[in-house]
Amino acid sequence: MTLRVDRDSTYVLNYCTRALARDNTDSRHNYGQFAGDDPRARIAEGWRFPIVDSYYDGVSLENSQRFNSVTFAYANREGVPGDAIAVIGTFDELCTPIPLRRVDDSIFWAVTLVIPKGQFHRYRFLLGSRSVLDPVNPQRMTLTDGTLWSRFFTDYCTDILCFERWEVSLLERLTNHILPFRTTEGQRFLNIYYNNLDRQSKVTQYARAYRLDQPVGVVNFIDKILAREESHRLIDYKICLELVDRVLRLRDPYEDPERMAAQLYAELYDQMASGGFLAGWDYSRYSNPRFFLQLLRRHTHTGAFSHPKHGGNAGAAGWAYLANNLVDPQTGRLPDQVTASTFFDWSRGLEPPLGRNAEYRG
Amino acid sequence: MPATQQLFDVVIIGSGAGGAPIAHTLVNAGQSVLVMDKGPFFRPQNDDPMGVSDYKRDELISDGPEKRLIVPGLANTGASFYTSHIEPDLNDEPHIYRNGSSGDYATIEGYTCQCVGGGTQHYGGVSLRFSPLDFRLKSFNDGRSDLQRDVTDDVKREMRDWPISYDDLEPYYTKAEQLVGINGSRENQLKRASADHYHQPLPPNPISEYARVGMMALGMKPYRTPQAVITEDHPSSGRVVGQLRDQTWPGGPKAAYVNRYGDALEYKSNTWVALLRPISRKPNFTLWPNCNVTYLESEGPRVTRVHYRDESGRQQVVSGRVIVVACSAIESVRLLMLSAEQSPDFSARINQNEFLGAYFLTHCFGGASAVMPGRYDKSLSVDSDWATDACGTEEYIRSMGLWAGATIYNNTSDQALPIALARTHGASDLDTLWHTFDNDTGMVGDRYRDFLNFQFNRRLSVSFMANQLPQRSNHIELHSHVRDKWGRRVAYIVKGWHPHDQYLMDTIARRCRDVLAFGGDGGTGNYPVEGFGGVYTSENSLARIANHILGGARFGTDERDSVLDPRCRAWHFDNLFVSDGCFMPTSGSGNPTLTIQANAFRVGDALLASGLF
Repeated sequence: MTLRVDRDSTYVLNYCTRALARDNTDSRHNYGQFAGDDPRARIAEGWRFPIVDSYYDGVSLENSQRFNSVTFAYANREGVPGDAIAVIGTFDELCTPIPLRRVDDSIFWAVTLVIPKGQFHRYRFLLGSRSVLDPVNPQRMTLTDGTLWSRFFTDYCTDILCFERWEVSLLERLTNHILPFRTTEGQRFLNIYYNNLDRQSKVTQYARAYRLDQPVGVVNFIDKILAREESHRLIDYKICLELVDRVLRLRDPYEDPERMAAQLYAELYDQMASGGFLAGWDYSRYSNPRFFLQLLRRHTHTGAFSHPKHGGNAGAAGWAYLANNLVDPQTGRLPDQVTASTFFDWSRGLEPPLGRNAEYRG
Repeated sequence: MPATQQLFDVVIIGSGAGGAPIAHTLVNAGQSVLVMDKGPFFRPQNDDPMGVSDYKRDELISDGPEKRLIVPGLANTGASFYTSHIEPDLNDEPHIYRNGSSGDYATIEGYTCQCVGGGTQHYGGVSLRFSPLDFRLKSFNDGRSDLQRDVTDDVKREMRDWPISYDDLEPYYTKAEQLVGINGSRENQLKRASADHYHQPLPPNPISEYARVGMMALGMKPYRTPQAVITEDHPSSGRVVGQLRDQTWPGGPKAAYVNRYGDALEYKSNTWVALLRPISRKPNFTLWPNCNVTYLESEGPRVTRVHYRDESGRQQVVSGRVIVVACSAIESVRLLMLSAEQSPDFSARINQNEFLGAYFLTHCFGGASAVMPGRYDKSLSVDSDWATDACGTEEYIRSMGLWAGATIYNNTSDQALPIALARTHGASDLDTLWHTFDNDTGMVGDRYRDFLNFQFNRRLSVSFMANQLPQRSNHIELHSHVRDKWGRRVAYIVKGWHPHDQYLMDTIARRCRDVLAFGGDGGTGNYPVEGFGGVYTSENSLARIANHILGGARFGTDERDSVLDPRCRAWHFDNLFVSDGCFMPTSGSGNPTLTIQANAFRVGDALLASGLF
């Protein structure tokens, strides 16, 4: 049985009012992530639902950090009897509905569950005997039997949700070309960094990244942000990766793009960046390859240096690179490992066990 | 909350710098007070039942993912924007600006925040007093013939003295500094203080030494920037600090994450932790977050009902013997205008002259920025370390042909974190975030490494804050057709810079450049400074260096020339008060929050003496 916890009405209403309390009927929040007259297009930031947040059991930060609190909310505008609203999902037995409770005298019903990090789940709401998709959450998944479910994932999830294997491979090659870590000293730093992570850090911070074929986890970050916060940009990636694959195969018909030389990627990148004509690119499907590179650059940087819970910066390696691999401009020397001085003491400000802050819980 | 009408002594609309001091004063005097806020109630760790704050040290959360502007018909329709959970989504409720001939833009500027605590959750905390001169700029400029680039005498014509003096407000500055919780140093400030309640500042970030050296070399006497961050136990708010004097202790307020965002740990003195939480357990205090006031209803000179949407969006009403509007300047003016739409009598009273919405103000601001010789860990910083009033003296102002002065201070925490570094690299305003980084497609591999090596934690900026010239043409109105998620017309702001503003910004920006030029090389003045200037030089001048929105309902002694009387009561109303920054007839030579708070305390006392209860 999944643990249920109380999040008070203020917490739930903070999200529900902002996103769901409204009169507008226009699709003012559709930037291309919804089709036709999808009612979710009326709602601001529907991707915040269910609300995936930090969890603290009040006793142990270390134990608590293995979990998220996940709050499911439903706006009961239809007047469904209050005791008939529930959620089912793969976080618990699918045959066991978990009832939602009314939030004060509002129109919202909610329940908060404690769910392990590093997972994704499918779920549906039950309204009496009816099973419905979450009417707010943009994330959905189709099972092999054709049934449609709502979906969410918790922090540090490394399951790839948006891409096929060949797309992941292309993204790895493209992002590796951008990142500063492919330099000789960058690669050396990362190898040393991951090998020297203490055992506990490897268990808690890097364990979930073991499936990543590339260090730092930038591709995993991109997969997650496209699955949730920026789903309107997924179409850019889907089209452009297909076009990139096609162009590469035209240039080397004998090798799989996954195994092509780095030089081919470098040349392709430069040509896309130049804005000039790119032979093999279908401009009727995507008119500006340079725009895709700009999008990719923002995601790559964010993936390398954002909080690891978003899927990138695996083991905080990106931050460690900034802390330990940038020289003192006045001496030309790297930070002194003996004195442990650093130009970016990232762990000091952050929650344990990722960081060592004495007050902040995340 | 109950869906039935209720009656309070005071209903305060807005929980930020303009509303919270009044609530604090009146609740402690025994009045029943309801504070309403449109935004959510995000809490620090200690106030959350689970013990985790809504404010996260996480750049992706504090900056927000990319969204796209869908509001049709604007110059930036389709543009990317980035807002977080503490601000409204622009597609739900934009502020729309017209800036010269560039067209109409939607922007996040003008939203100081939309949550309990308002802009005091989000700001860097710089808490400067206005100078005594700021209160009498009309008198100061009368008869002057030396003002640069004021070819049509706009300065003299549009200038107004405040109806109160610095000495009138001084006791309230002192009160605000004590109750809010501010650290800083007094010596070298132009502003006289009857008492010093500053907490002792923490050691400055080492990078700020360049600013201090530069100021000293130029004869600009520096002082530690007053900031709303506690560094000692603060009894009036019940906040205690950790082992702050132990620099090895991994805690405390120095975290670049909180310098443009909320603080999970209560070191930053937002109005919730400083003023509202201390009264929150009193039976005569009520807080309703997530409640959007849609309009005010009046009968004759009395506002009788406050119409609002509750957390579920249902229409409700509540009443108060006194109504205080403190939603931040643009939203307060907007609320009054929307109320006027509902009632010809309300309209006749609030529009008894032409000045509601007129004389919208921000600040003349800008500065200089340079990559300094050393690299320092700026992630461990507060917003600013050193300030100087050297450009606020009457002598300096007259010598440069300026109408008013400025405060200069360094920004320690800019670009102190890696996402901030990239998104603000080369950005001059909200519409250019990420542009430079994204467009520099050649920055890959070695060059990306070189960019990080050259830029990260080496950049220092020195900024100024100065009075903007009041102009009748700068104003707030309701947009003709763009509506928010409730179907209400959104705010439309027409804003431009007077040539004298531009001259002032150029002049003070050069001083900021000088600070870095002299500070970067130990005092000889030859250190290269790559950029300096005023905000007017950016493409659409919508920089978010400082979201200072002021004016639009100025107070004064003459009802023909002002919207509010000296107590901030709306003329021709008995019980309607407006206490956020829209009361200012001039914008002051420093960040406005402390002045708004001080004035709100003053208005609170005025209410107690008013006989309205």
